[in-house]
Amino acid sequence: MRLALDILTIVAVSLGAIFFLAGTVGLLRFPDTLTRLHALTKADNLGLGLVVLGLLPQVSGPLSALALLAVWLLALLSGSTVGQLLAGKAAVPDPDRAPTLTPGAGASHD
Amino acid sequence: MASSKAAAMPLIRAALARGVGFLGFWLLLAGPSLGQSTATGVTTDLAAGLAVGLLAAVVATWVSLRLLPPAPGRLRLTALARLARHFLWQSIVAGFDVARRAFDPRLPLKPGDLAFPTRFPPGTGRAAFGAITSLMPGTLPVGTDDHDRLVFHCLDLDQPITAGLARDEALVMGVRRNGSDRDA
Repeated sequence: MRLALDILTIVAVSLGAIFFLAGTVGLLRFPDTLTRLHALTKADNLGLGLVVLGLLPQVSGPLSALALLAVWLLALLSGSTVGQLLAGKAAVPDPDRAPTLTPGAGASHD
Repeated sequence: MASSKAAAMPLIRAALARGVGFLGFWLLLAGPSLGQSTATGVTTDLAAGLAVGLLAAVVATWVSLRLLPPAPGRLRLTALARLARHFLWQSIVAGFDVARRAFDPRLPLKPGDLAFPTRFPPGTGRAAFGAITSLMPGTLPVGTDDHDRLVFHCLDLDQPITAGLARDEALVMGVRRNGSDRDA
């Protein structure tokens, strides 16, 4: 049982590290600020979730487990909020992006 | 919960619930050091720590009531659980999606904007919808356009993004029951 939990820890934390790596690779390879934000928010969400999942079998008690989950939720909340704010700022002065696709209604952009 | 009589009751109840929640959160995150000091009895360190925690909880409650006044309506726990399950699964999909694109030598991206006419009025619900969709596969809310539609930046415009957003919106909307059907 102990061995199985240790294996779960190793697998989940390693997978989490791979997603953090993927987020960083996306940050370096993706073409502009907005696509880079995609890479960071999504990959880090899953990466941190997997690290937390992997650490859960190793904690001393239920309160520590709750604290780990709280850290994940706080990181999600701050990540998604800051991601949106940065995206809002980045979207304004960048005219080089693909044209706006508006299904249905006609677009009245300049 | 006791039934409320005075008009101020919902506010007091919300303040108490949020204060207890914030204090619990603080205790949870400051937990390990507190655990050590409780073993040695109530020391000045512990008292000072708790005083800081209480102060932080009171300030957090005050800020939260100012920024987010208690709204009528109730949380629906089954709908919340359904949203949580959907959110967890889509987080996994989003992580794999972005990792696949980042590692692919051809860098398969078709980024662009998409306007989504949301049913959420500006406010808390729309903010929650934006926060959740920013972690869903391929979407990132960047603002609101002239027609009060939410503008999403998308990683791949060939994906069925509008359908996914509509499903997310329905799930988030279901979480809070309307204020009209208040039960006793």
